[in-house]
Amino acid sequence: MEMLHYDFMQRAFCAGGLIALLASALGVYLLLRRQALMADMLSHVSLAGIAGGAYFQVNPTMTGFLVAVCGAVVVEYLRRAYRTYSEISVAIIMVGGLSLSVILMSLNKSINISFSSYLFGSVVAVNRTELIIMLATAVIGALFFYFLRRPLYLISFDEETARTNGIPVPWISLGFSILTGMIVAAAMPIVGVLLVSSLIVLPASLAIRISPSFSAAIFISMGIGLLGVFTGLTASYELSTPPGGTIAFVLLTFLVIGITVKKTIHKLGAKARMTAKQAEMPVTRHRATRAEEWSNP
Amino acid sequence: MRLATLQDVMFGYDDVPCLEDANVEINSGEFIAVTGPNGAAKSTLLKLTLGLLQPWRGKAELSSHNKDGNKLAIGYVPQQIASFNGGFPSNVQEFVLSGRYGAGSWWRRMGRKDLEAVERALLHTDTLNLRNRKIGELSGGQKQRICLARALAMSPDLYVLDEPTTGMDQESRERFYDLMRNEVRAMGKTVVMVTHNLTEVERDLDRVVTLVRKEESGWKCCTTTSCSGHFVPAG
Repeated sequence: MEMLHYDFMQRAFCAGGLIALLASALGVYLLLRRQALMADMLSHVSLAGIAGGAYFQVNPTMTGFLVAVCGAVVVEYLRRAYRTYSEISVAIIMVGGLSLSVILMSLNKSINISFSSYLFGSVVAVNRTELIIMLATAVIGALFFYFLRRPLYLISFDEETARTNGIPVPWISLGFSILTGMIVAAAMPIVGVLLVSSLIVLPASLAIRISPSFSAAIFISMGIGLLGVFTGLTASYELSTPPGGTIAFVLLTFLVIGITVKKTIHKLGAKARMTAKQAEMPVTRHRATRAEEWSNP
Repeated sequence: MRLATLQDVMFGYDDVPCLEDANVEINSGEFIAVTGPNGAAKSTLLKLTLGLLQPWRGKAELSSHNKDGNKLAIGYVPQQIASFNGGFPSNVQEFVLSGRYGAGSWWRRMGRKDLEAVERALLHTDTLNLRNRKIGELSGGQKQRICLARALAMSPDLYVLDEPTTGMDQESRERFYDLMRNEVRAMGKTVVMVTHNLTEVERDLDRVVTLVRKEESGWKCCTTTSCSGHFVPAG
């Protein structure tokens, strides 16, 4: 626990904890709405904002945040235009964001070194401004998920049925997209652009597979996310590895272990049922033989 | 009281019209079947009626209130194959309870009344024993029954059901038709249902909307006042 004596580690744990809870809950909804790639796409768009901020000498954190939110709004409108193939909108904006960030980065070669912390995350990168942004995002996100949990449930299952239930689907969907942009931008200092989606997608992927109900899936996902981030940050500090990659690797390990354990339990259960069936079978066969004897003396 | 109207409606997908001259009226307390061959735009007709699709031409109106002046509650059961989200990590109880989410505030506490409505809906659809199962583990017929249970739990004024008996066995279908007949005749509810089994339900129906192939192109919507006679184009 020596690491917690450092200010930057305290900030990293606070920020990581907040983001883990929020991103993992968001992940469940994103996966169920088949928008798993949205986090990846928004992080690339956000990188363009950071590069733009650095180029025009405006606070890169703020520009990255704003561009991610704008990207989320654009993707929501494109998703409605390409209703059947909504991943097209993700691909279009991702390409746009990445190409723009590469151009802006190449135009400003003097600041390229600091981009590595945005790409792979850094525990020391979490400054006071970013912590405040994360805190504000966490409060907004918590309120959004709590008060709109029922409409979000209906929308995630089927948007058309939700609309007939009187749910203002376009508005809630837009709000959800904006919140996704905010969470992605807020999570970037910890896990970095390239791995931000791991924090959103991996805990939710495991939770969806093992949870007995929808509300349980949200809480399980949050628990896995929190545990993954704390374990990853600790390992990152001890091994001097980038936090983004370490957290993503820990979460991936959790996913593999979780799925393996679930499959093993399932197999053992099936085997036990089979054994129980086989134990009953000789009696049945014996009875059948006796019956045959009676019918064919 | 008129709940929904389609007047001279034309609609299509990707610039190709699939429904033309659709004229349908849905009145409170009616039991209406929508029928026609595969690809005749039956589901499209329901979606136009519900306002989920906007017509290219013509008028589609849906009342915002029921006959008592309260907000119109709609129990929509879409075609299962097209819409059922099998990977959704929800159990049956939770899923059927979500039918109550539209009733009243989104964040009010679910009370005894709501849980009783869920219990009743599960009982009517013979799915009480499935209440703790995950919805993705159910068979096609069971999925269909829990979708109906969700609509029932809502206690809507208007049921809009797209092939609700798909995957159901004979006994379940008969139970379902009895249930809908009771909803219309005893409870004064309105039912609009797409079906291919007209003979099983025709004795309970007030009207049949049949989609027939128009000679030139696309499909045309026709209505009859009785399903026992020939189908006569409206207007």
